[in-house]
Formats: sequence, C-alpha cells, structure tokens
Amino acid sequence: MKPVRNLYVVVTAGGLLLLGGLAEWSRCAGRTEADLHLGLSAFAKGWGSIAPVCYVAGAVGVILLGWCWLRLVRSITSIARQLRENQSSQIKPDGSAIINELSEAINNRFSGNRSYIEQLEKQIGNSQLKIQLLRRQKRNADAIIYSIRDAVIVTDESDRLLMANEAAGKLFDFDFKNSQHKGIEELICTTNGGKKEFVNFLCQSRQSKVRYKRGEIVFSEQGRSKTFDCIVSCVYEKNEQVSGVVAVLHDITREKEISQMKNDFVSHVSHELKTPLASIRAYSEMLLEGEADDEKTRKEFYSVIQSQAERLNRLIEDILNISRIESGLIKVEKRPVSLTILIEEQLQMIRKQAEEKDIEIIGQKPIVFDQVCVDKDMISQVIINLLSNAVKYTPSGGSIEIKTEVDEIAGVARVSITDTGVGIPDDEIKHIFEKFYRVSANRKQAKGTGLGLNLAKQIIEKVHNGRVFVTSRLGQGSTFGFELPLAAAEALKS
Amino acid sequence: MADKKVLVVDDEIHIIHVVAIKLRNNGYEVISAENGAEAFKLACEEKPDIVVTDFQMPVMTGVELVEKLRQNEATKDIPVIMLTARGFAIKDEQKEDLQISEFLSKPFSPKELLRSIEDILHHKVVMGRN
Repeated sequence: MKPVRNLYVVVTAGGLLLLGGLAEWSRCAGRTEADLHLGLSAFAKGWGSIAPVCYVAGAVGVILLGWCWLRLVRSITSIARQLRENQSSQIKPDGSAIINELSEAINNRFSGNRSYIEQLEKQIGNSQLKIQLLRRQKRNADAIIYSIRDAVIVTDESDRLLMANEAAGKLFDFDFKNSQHKGIEELICTTNGGKKEFVNFLCQSRQSKVRYKRGEIVFSEQGRSKTFDCIVSCVYEKNEQVSGVVAVLHDITREKEISQMKNDFVSHVSHELKTPLASIRAYSEMLLEGEADDEKTRKEFYSVIQSQAERLNRLIEDILNISRIESGLIKVEKRPVSLTILIEEQLQMIRKQAEEKDIEIIGQKPIVFDQVCVDKDMISQVIINLLSNAVKYTPSGGSIEIKTEVDEIAGVARVSITDTGVGIPDDEIKHIFEKFYRVSANRKQAKGTGLGLNLAKQIIEKVHNGRVFVTSRLGQGSTFGFELPLAAAEALKS
Repeated sequence: MADKKVLVVDDEIHIIHVVAIKLRNNGYEVISAENGAEAFKLACEEKPDIVVTDFQMPVMTGVELVEKLRQNEATKDIPVIMLTARGFAIKDEQKEDLQISEFLSKPFSPKELLRSIEDILHHKVVMGRN
C-alpha cells in the first residue's frame, strides 16, 4: 500500500501547487478590464485567499516526496553495497515496500543462484577429486610399470608406443622415456628374427581383439639366445573397440635352463641308479636260475651284488647329503684334524685307480700346524671327490699333484689338487660347481652325476665357512682346491 | 652249426660278465667291448651275428655305434638290441632309422635278453630262407 500512498502524496502535492498557481494567477488577473468583463473577478478573489495554504501544502508534499525518493535511493545504494560487499548474505529489508519487494526478489534470485552455485561447486569439487584420484592412479600405474623387472610395452590403436619401462628399453634398445608416439615397428629392430616375431605378435593380438594372448619368443643376439614368456592383453573402450595393447615379456631363459638341468638330472640319476640295480637284478636272477655252477662263481656273484648295492647306496647318500646340507638338516661333528693325514688316507683309496691308468701321484711333504676343525667324514668326502675327478679326467700317463699350504696371516689351510687332464673350457668354468652341471665335452670322458663338485662346495662353504676354487687350461689340466679356517684361527675368533 | 657270435657292449664290466655267462651257458660265443669305438672296431673284424649294446657309454654312445654300424657295408645288417636306462631319450623316428630290433630297459632280466636274442636270430634265419 505504501507506493500507492506515495502516489497520493505526489498527486495531492501536485494538485495543491496547481491550485496555488491558479490562485496567484486569479489575483493578478483580477486587476485587468478583460477579466472583469468575463466575470472572473469574484472567482479570483475567493480563490486568491487560499494560495498561501496551497503553497505550504505543496512545499510539504514536495519535501515529503523528496524525502521518500532520498530514502529509496539510499536503500537501493545500500542494496548495491550489500550486493557488492557480501554476495552470499541475505539482503535486509528496510520496511519500504518497493525496497522490500526488491530485496525479496533479489534474495529469491540469490538463493536460487546460491543453490545452483553450490551444486556447481560440488560438481567442481567432485571433478577435482576425480582428477586427483586419476592422477594418483596414473602415478601408481607408472610406478608399477617402471618398477617391474619384466619388459612392459603399452601401445595405442595404431601400434604406436604409449609407454614402456626401462627393461623394455634395454631389451629392444630404445630410449624408453622419449619414444612416445613412435611406431613400434620403427622402434624395435625387426631384422632380428625373434623381435620381428614379437612385433607381429603384438599387432596381430590387437587386430584379433582377443583379450589375452600368450606365447614363447626366442631372441637371439650375438650367439646368445634368450627365451621370453610374452603376454599381450588388449585394452578395450566402452564400445568394445580395442584402444591399444599391453605386452609383458618375462625372461624365462634361466627357468628353461633349470628345467632342462632338472630333466637331465632325473634322466642321469635314473641311469646312474639303474646301472647298479641292473647288475643286482641280473646276478640275483642268475643265482636263482642256477646258472652259477660252482661255489667260486656263486661267491663272485654275491660279491658283485654286494658291491653294486653299496654303490647304489653311495649315490643315494650323495643326493641326500646335498639335500640335507641345503636344508640345514645335516648332523655335523667338528673335531680338530690334520689335513695332511686326511689327504693321505684318501690317497690310499685312489692310488689303485691311478695306477691302473698309469697316472703318477705326486704327494705332499708333511706339514705341521695344519690342524683344521672339521667334520672328518665330510672333508674326506670332499678330498675323495676331487681326487677321483682328477683321476677320471686325466689321460693315461699323466700326473696329479697334491699340495697343502698354511697361510697364517689369512688364518687358512689351502689344499690344491693339480692334474694334467683334459681341462675345462673358459665359458664353462663358472658353472663347474653348480649342481648337476657337467662339462659337455667331458660327458663322454667319464661317468658322473654332476653332484660331486657341488657336494664339495656345499661341505666346504656352507658347513665349514671355507672356500672352493678352480683354475683350468683347456687341454693342459685343472687345479681344484679349497681353503679351510685353521683350528687355531677359529679358536681365537671364538 | 657253428655257435652264433654275440657282441656285448657295456661300460659296466659286471653287466658284460653276467650276460656273457648267460649266453655262453646257452651255447653262444661272446665277444665284448667297453665303449662304442672299441665295439665298432670289433664288429668290423669279427662280424658278430647280433650286437647287444648299452645306450649311454663314454667315448661313443650306443646310438652313435649303431649309426656307424648302419653306415658300414659289412656291418649294416647286424641286428642290434639296445639296453637302456632311459628309453625316452631316443625318439621314435630315430629308432626306425637305426633299425634297432629291440629295446630292453635296465634293470633287465638275462633270461629275457636270451629269449630276445633267440627270437631275433631265429626270425633272421626264417627271413633268410624265404
């Protein structure tokens, strides 16, 4: 109702001012002849008396009007200030109807905008969280890919590189950090048979859209071949289109070698176990069938059966000993013994075999203070293994020299057995103490399980904290030996 | 009829010994060698009726020995029985190529070996007559 009231004030003030004006005009006009003629003189005189009242009322109305407008302007200015200074708060109504209506309209729009803004802010917040999460996930994925030792290659739908790790860069010889968006064929040298096969495998996997493909690929370089287990997985878009592939190459060369060695070992050990078993079965059958006519032959047959049973037992013991040492279950009885005496005892056992092959054994001079604290049976086993190898791989007419030295500064006793045998090729010598390993060229030279040297190494290094060593020249001979801590040095330590 | 001659090849002296006794007790003449190279030389000189050889031997394996026997005119038709502790080590195609009459896996029975020798030699005689 207030704006209407203001309008009345304006209209009344306007009317009063008009009346005031008319009165003034009639007062002046009454003095002319024409006005008198027109009969306006009386009228003018009656109205002329209310002119001052009209002026006063008009002036009051104008003042009131001015005051109203001033108030309105002040309120609008205040709203503008409120809007400028504090957008989020409500506009305070001041009692004026227009202002109240304006405030209400602004407040309504405000609250509408505010909820919209809040909604947008929420969405922006969520999006930022999602972006952060995605960034973190990407960093995690990067860290995972870069820390994998297997070669990882990620390509896009056009077989261009998106990502690769260091292992992939090394394997395929490219800069893994700065090769993004380069064609995979351009990056990987496809003149190499295996690598070309890999590129084809990658491209075909993407084209075939098969979720997961696996294959073994052999890369040959500089005469060495490496086998990789290659897994290629397709990356799908929502529309089931393939947007790229992830290839992981795991080096299984060593696993293959170990598997081959195990197969060879099983095959070899089964042969080694079956050989004495074959004799036992054949001789016992002959006895049962009555093919041994006389007592002498029968005794000979019994003796063969016995010796072959012992041989079988030794072989099984060797395998078990290695297994026990490896698992830490072997019983060790260490006592101070002289290495020279131990070697002398074992030499007695091997001398006959050496004489049969006409091999000269150059013994050692007795050494005092060569006491070592060892398990006598175990070290005897090491010595006999090294000596029998020397005899096996030395051709007739050769020689075997045994040396024992005491290194007091290092606190060790060193035994070395040097033969004039077939020797070991340079590229095979590093494998010589590995379980089941046998020098390929020497396989035909003599029988063996490939266990003797490994057993020696395990006994010396694992059980006695010593060290085994070997030097060799192909065709000229080898020196095998070991070092053991001197009993005195060990006593000092403890 | 003269005794049939059998060449026994094995790096295990005990195996040669027991097979020799079994075969001699049953009227065969036995010659022996401890490795493939020695056996090939003996086969060329003595022309045995049949060869019984071990599979794995130093210097020259049983397979290498049979390959050499098959390449030599004088020895190419000698039937061979192979004693092996690892039958799976020889591929089927190789068995056919080498024309090995029989494989006996270790540990084997001397009685069974004798029966195989008799079967192969008898079969050879029958085939020869035809």
